[in-house]
Amino acid sequence: MINNRYLHYLFRLVLGGVFIWAGIIKITNPLGFAQDISNYQILPQSISFFLALFLPWIEVICGVFIITGLFLRSSSLFFCGLLGGFLILIIVTLIRGIDVECGCFGSLSRHVDYKLLLTDCALLFFSLNIFFYRKS
Amino acid sequence: MKKLLTHIGFIMALSVLLGFGTNVRLIKQFLGGEFQYGFISLEEDPSINFIMLPEAEELFSMNETLFIDSRLAEAFKAGHIFGAVNIPFEDKMDTILLEELSIPKEKSIVVYCNGSLCQSSAGLAKFLQDQGFINIRVFFGGWKEWQMEGLPVEKNDDK
Repeated sequence: MINNRYLHYLFRLVLGGVFIWAGIIKITNPLGFAQDISNYQILPQSISFFLALFLPWIEVICGVFIITGLFLRSSSLFFCGLLGGFLILIIVTLIRGIDVECGCFGSLSRHVDYKLLLTDCALLFFSLNIFFYRKS
Repeated sequence: MKKLLTHIGFIMALSVLLGFGTNVRLIKQFLGGEFQYGFISLEEDPSINFIMLPEAEELFSMNETLFIDSRLAEAFKAGHIFGAVNIPFEDKMDTILLEELSIPKEKSIVVYCNGSLCQSSAGLAKFLQDQGFINIRVFFGGWKEWQMEGLPVEKNDDK
């Protein structure tokens, strides 16, 4: 893990900004996001629907907390969980060969591919760094 | 550790509260069974109706309805409902293909995709509604159900 103060702030800013942006896009179109979750063909319709209602709020709230420094460790842990779960979902989707939009940024989403896998890994690395960061 | 769990619980509770609190109307619609065919609000999209095989078959036999296949061109060429045209659904649809087909706005249209799990038919129906078409139905069972019932199909068509 990188224990540099400036990089720590940069990671927080990038991660928080990305999740706030992604969350707001989804909050404005919950049915679209529910459809995106449903397209992965893993969860039943009802779970996709209810997840789509509160998951974007977790992204926005944790994004704000990450940037402001409030509840920093728990917010970064949430992001680790979300990104870790999404990583598994991407791998499963690629193995199953389903051509699906990731649903990460509403209509700006891109298809699930290896580039998305790398982006997810980078964000997961940021989250883990924030979680394990210790002031020296 | 206890502090961490408390914070996680707080974030979770706040998110659920905000998520459910700001979407009461959608939750009521969901509990009323509105989204069982796909996440399209029938209230906001009144021109779209979902139909089952018997109604699709009836409309087909009356020969006045245009069947539109929303699957990719390769899947369409491999086999489709007899007489159907192909408008592959994409996230950023353009109107060129629609203009080429010059379909009257009041024409009775049935959109279908692979089966009940695919979503492109509902997406295309919504796009058609936005383009001013007023008589759109989505055939829920789609190509799989039609084919399984041994109803008229054709293939290797470049339409």
